Amino acid sequence: MSTATTGTTTAPDRIAAHGVTVRFGGLVALKDVDLAVAPHTIAGLVGPNGAGKSTLFAVLSGLLKPAQGTVSMNGVDVTHRSPQKRASAGLARTFQHPELFSSMTVREHVVLAHRVRHARSRLWTDLVTGRGLRRPPAAETERVDDLIEALHLEDIAHRPATGLPLGKARLVEVARALAVDPTVLLLDEPSSGLDVRETEELVSTLTEVVRERGVSLLIVEHDVELVISMSDVVHVLDFGVKIAEGAPSLIRDDPAVRAAYLGEDIELAEPRRTEQTVAVAGGDNTREERV
Amino acid sequence: MLSYVLAGLSLGAIYAIAASSLVITYVSSGIFNIGFAAMAYSVGRVFYSLNTVHHWSAPLAAVVAVLLFAPLLGMALYYLLFRHLRLRSPLVKIVATIGVSVALPQAVDLSLGKLANVTAPGLAPRPLTVFHPFGAVLNMDQVVTYGGLLVVLVVGVGVLRYTEIGLKVRALVDSEALTSLSGTSPSRVSLGVWAASATLAGLAGVLVAPASGLTMSGMTSLMTAAFAAVVVARLRSIPVAVGVALLMGVVTEVLQWPTLFSPDGPWQSRLVSGVPFAFMLVALLTYAVRGQAGETSSGGALDRAIRPQGGDPSAAVTVHGPARTRLPLVAGAVTMAVVVVLVLGLADYWTGLIAGGIALAIALLSYTLVVGEGGMVWLCQITFAGVGAVTTAELATNHGWPALLAVFVGSVLTVPFGVALGVLTIRLGNLYVALVTLTFGLLIQRLVFTQDPFYNFGSGTSVARPGFATDNKNFAFLALGVFLVLALIVVNVRRSTAGMAMSAVRWSEDGARTLGLSVVQTKVLVSGLATYIAAVGGGILALTFQSTLPDSFDPFVGLVWLSVLVTMGSRSIMAALVAGIFFTLLPAVFASYLPSSLGDVPVLLFGLGAVMLAKNPEGVVPMHGRQLATVFERRRGDGGTGVDGATSTSGADHEPSGVTPDPSALRAPNVAGPVEPTLSTGGRA
Repeated sequence: MSTATTGTTTAPDRIAAHGVTVRFGGLVALKDVDLAVAPHTIAGLVGPNGAGKSTLFAVLSGLLKPAQGTVSMNGVDVTHRSPQKRASAGLARTFQHPELFSSMTVREHVVLAHRVRHARSRLWTDLVTGRGLRRPPAAETERVDDLIEALHLEDIAHRPATGLPLGKARLVEVARALAVDPTVLLLDEPSSGLDVRETEELVSTLTEVVRERGVSLLIVEHDVELVISMSDVVHVLDFGVKIAEGAPSLIRDDPAVRAAYLGEDIELAEPRRTEQTVAVAGGDNTREERV
Repeated sequence: MLSYVLAGLSLGAIYAIAASSLVITYVSSGIFNIGFAAMAYSVGRVFYSLNTVHHWSAPLAAVVAVLLFAPLLGMALYYLLFRHLRLRSPLVKIVATIGVSVALPQAVDLSLGKLANVTAPGLAPRPLTVFHPFGAVLNMDQVVTYGGLLVVLVVGVGVLRYTEIGLKVRALVDSEALTSLSGTSPSRVSLGVWAASATLAGLAGVLVAPASGLTMSGMTSLMTAAFAAVVVARLRSIPVAVGVALLMGVVTEVLQWPTLFSPDGPWQSRLVSGVPFAFMLVALLTYAVRGQAGETSSGGALDRAIRPQGGDPSAAVTVHGPARTRLPLVAGAVTMAVVVVLVLGLADYWTGLIAGGIALAIALLSYTLVVGEGGMVWLCQITFAGVGAVTTAELATNHGWPALLAVFVGSVLTVPFGVALGVLTIRLGNLYVALVTLTFGLLIQRLVFTQDPFYNFGSGTSVARPGFATDNKNFAFLALGVFLVLALIVVNVRRSTAGMAMSAVRWSEDGARTLGLSVVQTKVLVSGLATYIAAVGGGILALTFQSTLPDSFDPFVGLVWLSVLVTMGSRSIMAALVAGIFFTLLPAVFASYLPSSLGDVPVLLFGLGAVMLAKNPEGVVPMHGRQLATVFERRRGDGGTGVDGATSTSGADHEPSGVTPDPSALRAPNVAGPVEPTLSTGGRA
């Protein structure tokens, strides 16, 4: 289990994958992948199309069971826990293709997420108390309004999720995920579909969340520059194998990463170590055995 | 024994032809044709008319009915309906095809006249030649059936494998978008597919009629078996569907071998009825365990990428602005006021009908919850209503409980069944859920409702109304009170946290689960509550008509209920009330004021109403409610319908003026064969 040192105490990783392997029939989507997200940090996960980033997200969030390996949250093995249990433990995520609730309004998405975390009993008690017919508590309204404002969703707050532009849909997912006050947030391509201004605002909001609320982020992005600008550490996947891990400045110039992205013919005898303090798992990197 | 096997192969061959028809249209268009039985009936009816009424020779009549009328029917239905369904939600597709199953037989009967004698001739010459291979009995009808299947398989495989048309059909199955890009018109190919499918349906209808009778009930049995074969084949594989259909036919016939079970005993008919359900259940459990029973979507990656969102009755619902709280309330109040005025002002006969309509509206609220809110296409709510009626009668009549107590407590007893079904179908895709629940309903109908002591020659068990509501007027107000209470519960559920969780699970299970919501708990909640409401509705219906009248709870009547509701609006409380009252009132209006020859027109209209969903999936009441809201907002000058024309309407609405609704008296429409005795409200013969 990896740990992170904060001051004088050592806190367990918010979420970590240990030797995770996923197979779809004969296809090895992930092979022996290790990854950890320390408290109060932003980790980036990059890789070309088909690298296995979303598959790893599915494993971390519990939607997919790994063939081998484990997943832990705060040092506790959660490999066999359902997505719901992981969510209860503080995990939230967004999706590459936004998974919104079509008939619900943007605001209702945030309200529901807030209640799941802060007023869970209302899932059942509303039915007999009729609270659903009354005004919501002021604290809930305030928190929901804050999130909607932070992500600039005021204009569409009462609009149904169906038919939202992709960029807005992503922001709604982020708002919904933040409403559960997660300790670790997995963001799958959050800037896809956003314009430059929206992207800057999103980055600002996320950075603030990490700084003020101590949330840890794991971000999958195709926009490598964005990841590098935001992240404390970057992990690189290629064809299901982690080929590099380290500080953003080092990742940018890593030959293996360049090969993965640009197709340069560079053979890697073993995984790259780009930062002295971080061990890189991954084993061999031969593409023949992946299919 | 061999005779039963041969007969079973014959029956299985007909099932196989029917199953092939269903698979072809499903894989090529994504539409599971519940109107199949109606198409089979229509072609069989035309064959009968030509052959028996007009004395054409069987081969000539068969050529005209099966090879001319049937493809034309298929093409007409494609042009008028099915081509509009391509991008619609499973619910709309199902309900629209239910509309076909309701409207088509009525249209045929209106054109060709009611059939007094349901005994139909087959394709084989009469008198039937009988053979005795290995001492068994084999008649010419059965031989013709074998031949029919053989021809279908040879021609089908030949066309699909070795012709350009077959290549285009296979391309269409894989990807309509790519087929279109390659210069082939998907519409033309689809037209051909529907023509072929209707031909197969017609052939199956003509072949099955001599054994099952030329009735919708007979065709329904055929369709049920074909459904099961298609489900076992995971909706896609024709060879598997054909194999399973043959096996099912053999099992069905062999179970009637007297050596196994006495024909007079209680088991034989029940086991035979349960054969399709057993096949389906085993297959679904297997697929569910393997995780293979999810939603199957037609087309390839490009088709999925360009498929628009929406097309579902409840996707258009949202809330915004002040009108959200006021207009539906006002509209609901106006609707209620109209109902009250009708109850107070009309004669006893009509008041009785309205009471029946309100009672039906209570049962329809269960669809509002399970289909409209939960998005679960359950087709057996009428069965739970029937169980509610039976338990009410048992407790009130046989155990002396007060009537209302019997209704509300008896309905609790049905909840475990609904919850069990909810849990069983939790991992299934929408279409599978629809098929399982429909088959479950048919099973209960045949195993319970039509068996004594519950059946009692169709009149069921009598049950007395509460002492304070023996007359129609008071009873109508009692029913209205129950409706209002349950409507409030549904509204509360919708606006509650649980309601939002329900929506969340409906639209994205992954999104809901990663948010921390339990899919199982949510679906169990919906299932349990909807089952309870359906049962209460059934109990109140039994009190309305003072008898359980088991035939009134035929699952195919339930399809009509659902269609009426969805036509009006599947999420609107007031739509449920309007639908219930229309359902009972309109046939009576026709019967009282129009020639008797037009008696089936209301059912036909209703079927057409459901068909219209293809173009207006929102439903009539919400659509008019939205239009009204837009007018009000414009008058207030606040700019219309919110962001980008987002729509209003979350429930209660206004009375639908100028609607072309549906109904048929509270007697069950003729979608599932003879359903007498009818539910009558007393006071008039």
